[in-house]
Amino acid sequence: MPGLLTRVTATARNALTNRPRAVLGGGWRATLYTGRGRARGVLAVGVVAALALAGCGDPPSARSNDSSKPLTIGISLPLTGDFSQPGTQARRGYEVWANMINAEGGMLGRKVELKITDDASNQDTVVADYTRLITQDKVDLLLGTFSSLLNYPASAVAEKNEMLYVEPAGGATRMFERGFKYLIYAQPATAPKQADVMVDWVKSLPADQRPKTAAYPTQDDPFAAPVIETLRKELEKLGVRTVYTTTYPADATNFQTIASAIAARKPDLVAQGAVFEDGVGLVRSLKQLNYSPKVLFQTSAPSNAGQYSDGIGAANTEGVFYTVSWNEKAKTPLNEEFVAAYGKAYNGETPAEDAADAFAAAQVLQAAVTKVGKIDQKALADWLHANEVDTILGKLTWDETGAPQSRFLLAQWQGGKVEIVAPDDRATTKTVINPKPGWK
Amino acid sequence: MTELIQALTLGLLIGGVYALLASGLTLIFGVMHIVNVAHGAFLVLVAMLTWWLWRETGVDPILASVVTTPLMFGVGWLLYRTVIVRIRGESVSMSVLLTFGLALTVEGLLNVTAGNKFRSATPGYFEESFRLGGISLPKAQVYGFLAAVAVLTLLYVVLTRTWAGRAIRASAQNPTGAALIGVSATATAALAFAIGTATTGVGGSIMSVLYPFFPASHYDWISRLLGIIVLGGMGSLPGALVGALVLGLAETLTATYSSLRWSTLVFYAVIMLVLLVRKQGLFGTRLREDVTA
Repeated sequence: MPGLLTRVTATARNALTNRPRAVLGGGWRATLYTGRGRARGVLAVGVVAALALAGCGDPPSARSNDSSKPLTIGISLPLTGDFSQPGTQARRGYEVWANMINAEGGMLGRKVELKITDDASNQDTVVADYTRLITQDKVDLLLGTFSSLLNYPASAVAEKNEMLYVEPAGGATRMFERGFKYLIYAQPATAPKQADVMVDWVKSLPADQRPKTAAYPTQDDPFAAPVIETLRKELEKLGVRTVYTTTYPADATNFQTIASAIAARKPDLVAQGAVFEDGVGLVRSLKQLNYSPKVLFQTSAPSNAGQYSDGIGAANTEGVFYTVSWNEKAKTPLNEEFVAAYGKAYNGETPAEDAADAFAAAQVLQAAVTKVGKIDQKALADWLHANEVDTILGKLTWDETGAPQSRFLLAQWQGGKVEIVAPDDRATTKTVINPKPGWK
Repeated sequence: MTELIQALTLGLLIGGVYALLASGLTLIFGVMHIVNVAHGAFLVLVAMLTWWLWRETGVDPILASVVTTPLMFGVGWLLYRTVIVRIRGESVSMSVLLTFGLALTVEGLLNVTAGNKFRSATPGYFEESFRLGGISLPKAQVYGFLAAVAVLTLLYVVLTRTWAGRAIRASAQNPTGAALIGVSATATAALAFAIGTATTGVGGSIMSVLYPFFPASHYDWISRLLGIIVLGGMGSLPGALVGALVLGLAETLTATYSSLRWSTLVFYAVIMLVLLVRKQGLFGTRLREDVTA
């Protein structure tokens, strides 16, 4: 009976959210996968109610610490459907970690076994998956899935069953407004704080070299807009005058009018909440008007390496800033080993950011288990709330809601390549291109 | 004042391109009462082909339509003869189902063969502008607009000055009458579908330069194009032109004087207002509904 209700609300919801990856017209779009975005906008009403029903089962307060059996870690990932690309990368990240840890003898002296199921990018299925992993398969530990859309309901299943839930993605503000005790987000910062590192950079400039005016166009996107809004407020505090703000819909295709408005106001800095094609579109339009700001920051668009440089022309990428959670060249512990192991396992490919985030989530779980020394979910969560963990993304710490308190990386396109310019401990170069050269 | 002129000219340029993209859609509906939901997917398909040709051979993307247009004519003709013809005489909703299936097929094929990535052709002029006084006219948009005018003029001439065109119009206005005087309904419909599909040759090539696209981009485009032809009157070529110009102007004027976020709303509000007064759209006629009813 309750199951029926769950099914009905979930089906209706999926009709709205489970769309092909990207942009549909107007109101019923699902947010484009941003490379770091992770949250798809609509977190539907009724999810929580559905979870209360779905999560019945014996709370596994302390699972067996029998050392003869492998340590099982339950994971559901979007291996098919809208988020299959990031989902597959996350799976690789987890598997590279499991192989590395097993080569060293596992955790707590037990071999680690991943139990990965496919949730088909569907909120309904992800809830069923985690419920089954916890109540039927009785896994020892959990790791999170991909995107806020899926992590939102999945983390509620874990919370209900009092199991630690370390997620590699899912940085939407709403994730941390529920007061969960078992949720840990294994990236450096939540969505609105992604651009803090950019603010720090502006702050580091001598007062007379800071940008004096700024324009803030942003897509109406749950990831891009909060980043830009926080950035604007912080820069205003530093005395950077806001000369233009605008929000455009996801299906906007023509950016000439926005570019004209920006060019007319001649801001020193343009900071755009750009998912992808809007980032390319605005740069093209600015170039058509021959207006090149001294500093250009875009949220996600420039992280799509080849697609971005193809879209605006490689020469025009010079000096563009963006933020990102991980870099393959970062000198963080195990990063080099991770990149090498990944390349070895997958035809010499470079890991995607999503694979690195998953690897880091597993590192966080590993640190807690090793330090606590037993599988006690509450003790694991408490330990993570109180301690710092060193990952390939850098050092991570969390507040009581599981929101991370670190900094993203500030990346900049230099000579056709991406370099990390801040923070200092993870920078790959000391050179920062400022001001940005004019368009080529 | 410059701001207003800039917004108006840009709106017209953008609208012209929209008109070209919508022209095949309205033509096919006008003649066959087929709502070709796959039109957007065909545009993306051509954009992908054009991008590939441009990258491999360096040929100008807009010139590449010399190749893609006949190709899409063939694709349209073949599709009509093999697939579409089977739903002739069925309700409009059948055509929506069938062509939606075609759209998904094209999207799936592109996903597998070309990959789920954004592309855009970037010939030398893609980010340059003509300047007239204080007004800036992006070259790609201008070329797109000129190509749109050329294609729309050609379509108009074909439809009004050639026998085949008259046959198409005759079939649209009175299928029974046309059949009585010896117009083959199937051949005419196949021709109309092929011509309608062929317009995506030029449309898609311009799209590849102006708008970054990926396989699922067609959802965005088809909703926009359907809006245009509903406003203009389904089946009317001048209607598609006017509908497209209204959309282009709605975009640039709302973006200039308010915020781009309202432009979609403004456009659909215009559609609703027009439909309240004229349920057949600006240039639609009720005749066709009477004939097929």
